[in-house]
Amino acid sequence: MINLEVKIPDTPGTLIELIKPISNNGGNIFGILHHHDKKINNLIPVDLTFELPEELREKALESIKSELRKENIQIDRISLGTEKRHLTILLTGHVFDTDVVDTIKRLAKKKIIVTGLEARFTEVDDISTVKFSLELPESISEKNLINEMNKICEEKNLMMIRV
Amino acid sequence: MKVKICLIGKGTVGKCFLELLNKKLPIFKHKFDIDIVIVGIFEIDGGLVNKSGLNIRKVIEMDKDFRKLNDWKFNINPLDLISKIDVDICIETTPTNPETGEPALSHIKAAIKNGIHIIASNKGPFYLKYKEIKELANKNACLIQYEATVASGVPILSIKKSLGASKIKAIRAILNGTSNYILSRMASEGIDFSIALKEAQELGYAEADPTLDIEGYDAAGKLVILANELLGWSKSIQDVKIRGISKITPQAIELAKSDGYIIKHLAIAENNSLIVEPRLIENYSALNISGTLNVIELKTEYMGSIVLMGRGAGGYEAASAILNDLFYICDFLKKDDNI
Repeated sequence: MINLEVKIPDTPGTLIELIKPISNNGGNIFGILHHHDKKINNLIPVDLTFELPEELREKALESIKSELRKENIQIDRISLGTEKRHLTILLTGHVFDTDVVDTIKRLAKKKIIVTGLEARFTEVDDISTVKFSLELPESISEKNLINEMNKICEEKNLMMIRV
Repeated sequence: MKVKICLIGKGTVGKCFLELLNKKLPIFKHKFDIDIVIVGIFEIDGGLVNKSGLNIRKVIEMDKDFRKLNDWKFNINPLDLISKIDVDICIETTPTNPETGEPALSHIKAAIKNGIHIIASNKGPFYLKYKEIKELANKNACLIQYEATVASGVPILSIKKSLGASKIKAIRAILNGTSNYILSRMASEGIDFSIALKEAQELGYAEADPTLDIEGYDAAGKLVILANELLGWSKSIQDVKIRGISKITPQAIELAKSDGYIIKHLAIAENNSLIVEPRLIENYSALNISGTLNVIELKTEYMGSIVLMGRGAGGYEAASAILNDLFYICDFLKKDDNI
């Protein structure tokens, strides 16, 4: 979720100019709040909440900012939501022998928190399968997670099974 | 109007096609006012050739003894004859070499160069040389139909004609019955991969050498065709990231189940990338099918998801797809003839 705080002139048609760049860049608008009571110098503060497709997020956000500036819309603040996502992945291979603590720490460095581990194995020396329950802050895309896991899996000869 | 056909490859698919065609001949006459005439049937060691038309019923009756028919000649091959016999449509059903696409690729190219329309059931030429075949066909004004190459009789390629207004954005599918059977048995019985594979081989669902199926190459070839045809991409099998299912353990399946997931060998085309690998899908997903079935989910621009499911292999299933392709070409020829 993205929160955008702007100030727009209290004139007809300006709201459309605010919404257009978001819509043009694939945004899905959840809510618009006008603060008429806080109008100063004919400028109304507006809070807008929207979402962008994850894979286009960074690029789309930059494009929205640039288009708003072109329309002389004053951007006060853009904040990314703090909602956390939960994901499950499975790793198969010598997950423990290849230092599972190191795997957890490397994910933590990327702000990906391992909230649970569940393992199955037949014998100590045999390969194991481990279920990782993960928590991702909204600022980390699934693509980032997959890239990091792919690196770890390649290095440690593990197989990842994901959603 | 007469439409002359040659069939290359009289294996299971070719044989089933002849049977279905024989049953449906009146439809061609009634619907298109077309008389279908088979002028050539080729096998690896020779062929049946008759410029006036072969007796289809007799060929079917003779079954494996078709070489005893008077029209049979040893040591002739379609590549030599394709330019000499008058043919409108060539139906190609020979077994494919997965690395070269041969001999089907040469048959298809030779036929197109002679202005002959193509119906093919072999995926090899299309996942290896899609662009080249398409360009050659355009240049020679030939139609190419190959519905049977993906999910056999499931009309997944022809669905594009019905979805003109709603672009297909992504594809997720299970395209290999063997690997799906193995994973289904592992999930339902808690058995090891090797036991499930052996069971699949005993039931005839897996080849003696199951590599192409279980390592994902078969599904990857089909995925390339789907992506090129339905998404308008121009990819070949080298563009697919492929991982097989041979390392999946019963323990992995058990852990997935504990979170409401099941492991399936998915073929995915999205965001300009092609992937075949084991993935977790929700238990309630439309892709959660059991046994040897195939399923394809199309994510569309305006209509959400569309799911097609059906038997992805079998002689009559493939023959049915070929017959549908033949209807399509006959419809085109009839309209063309009326102009």
